[in-house]
Amino acid sequence: MNIDVRKRKMIPYLMILPALALILLFKIYPIARTLLESFWVGGSVTLKTWATLLHDATFWNAFWITIKLNLVMIPVQVIVSFCLALLVNANLKGIGGFRTIYFLPFTISLTVATIVWSLMFNTNNGILNSLLAFVGIPPQRFLVDKNQALWCIVVIASWKGCGYWMMFFLAGLKNIDVSIYESARIDGAGFLTTVSRITIPLIKRVSLFVLVANTTANVLLFVPMQMVTQGGPQGSTNVLMYEAYKSAFKYADRARSSAIVTVLLMIIVVVCIFQFKLLQGKQDGGAEA
Amino acid sequence: MIRYKLRTKVILYAVLIVLSVITLFPLLWAVSASLRTDKELFQYTVPFTYHTIIPVEPTFASYVQLFTQFNFLQPLVNTLVLVVILIPLGCLINSIAAFAFATFNFRLKNLLYAIVLASFMIPFEAIAMPLYNVVDGMGLVDTWAGLVLPAIASGLVLFLFTQFFKDIPPSLVEAGRIDGANLAQIFFRIIMPSSIPVFITAGLMIFMDQWNAYLWPLLVARSKNVQTIQIALSSFKMERQTLWSCMYAGTMVSALIPLSLFLPFQKYFVQGVISSGVKG
Repeated sequence: MNIDVRKRKMIPYLMILPALALILLFKIYPIARTLLESFWVGGSVTLKTWATLLHDATFWNAFWITIKLNLVMIPVQVIVSFCLALLVNANLKGIGGFRTIYFLPFTISLTVATIVWSLMFNTNNGILNSLLAFVGIPPQRFLVDKNQALWCIVVIASWKGCGYWMMFFLAGLKNIDVSIYESARIDGAGFLTTVSRITIPLIKRVSLFVLVANTTANVLLFVPMQMVTQGGPQGSTNVLMYEAYKSAFKYADRARSSAIVTVLLMIIVVVCIFQFKLLQGKQDGGAEA
Repeated sequence: MIRYKLRTKVILYAVLIVLSVITLFPLLWAVSASLRTDKELFQYTVPFTYHTIIPVEPTFASYVQLFTQFNFLQPLVNTLVLVVILIPLGCLINSIAAFAFATFNFRLKNLLYAIVLASFMIPFEAIAMPLYNVVDGMGLVDTWAGLVLPAIASGLVLFLFTQFFKDIPPSLVEAGRIDGANLAQIFFRIIMPSSIPVFITAGLMIFMDQWNAYLWPLLVARSKNVQTIQIALSSFKMERQTLWSCMYAGTMVSALIPLSLFLPFQKYFVQGVISSGVKG
């Protein structure tokens, strides 16, 4: 009887054991390694990696490119997705079809999106230059121009991502009671007032999730850089994540790679704290009004 | 219900259609381009005419070339094998653990569940390099195990199952117990059949993750016999810069299977997406 009770107590542990063991080995242990490896070179604890990194012009160049890219890409994607969600939340015939269309690029890999767009962006034979010529604009160099390449990557990532983020906002909008809008309208609130004073404060939780998840995805974006630009032209798309990838797999410098990833994680945390504060402020403002 | 004035309606539809064109254009363009020869593709690019978009003589030649000359079948089959192994394995291991988290009380439960939740907030890119060293240390680089093992347990899938199982009425489990069923029978005969939607969602999430995975297979599956479709596509792009129609055909081959699953299962896809944000 006693043994039976003890056996029974073991059952839940046995059930979670396979999943938990795999998570510990393949998720938790590697993240611990990431955070520690940059302080651990040749068998002793050292700050050498960090000292070298912080005096490295390539690192700082990549750092500022990452910041520049995300200062544009995160707001663009969040605002576009939010507007898309407002749009497909409209009570119109056939709106479900439009929702499906906007969500469609999510099912396609970033690899495919990158290849298709990079061919469309091609300077000589790309369809985009052909369309520009049609409306009388001279051909652009897009991905091979150091002033345009980064923004072309924003286009690629946003084309693929916005429909995905839209779905979260849409789920949030669907949870809002329609009668709130009715009473706002009776009070004479216009569209913009309704959105800023009612909709945005009411979907705070969803917005926060989108901001955090979107920040994480974008700060770590590297597929287009690895596949098409290789960080160029002239280092203009050499983001930190690509630099970390190169450090580990081209220069075999693991300490540098994990130091860069640590910097990336710190950027994500700082941005998320900032976003959290921003959104909290918004809601308070809405409540006062 | 909100009703719109006719003018508002017209504007809304116009905006919806313009945005649909922007969304669909790259895909339709890729379909069209994949059905042409390179010569024809380049010839009609400038100036922009009707034939810039519509093929003059549509041909499947580049698809044939892709499979005969460039051996695209192998990575395609590899990726299919990978998802066929991983979907049942991932569903089983995560759902069993989730069932324990949802129905039993045991010591350290909260701590262990917190580890699960923390694990799905760690972005994969942040652990890819050390993970490579772990897998390399186990001698699993360039093997199926190297692709499969790290992908089985997923905090997100586990979380999804747990949320679902929590909502199953305890009376269902009790009824099974009274009938003398053991735990395994309760799980496989009662819980599983009444949780089919969440299994579909979880299966689709695993499928999408694997089908579109790039960084991990890039690091760990370099030889041809384990190469996945996205890597085959990306190395084709780097090695054969000039074969545009083949590249377009390759992207279509790679996009076709997720797309054909997406349309009938859209509801479950969206469910999966939303549930990953519930915690937020």
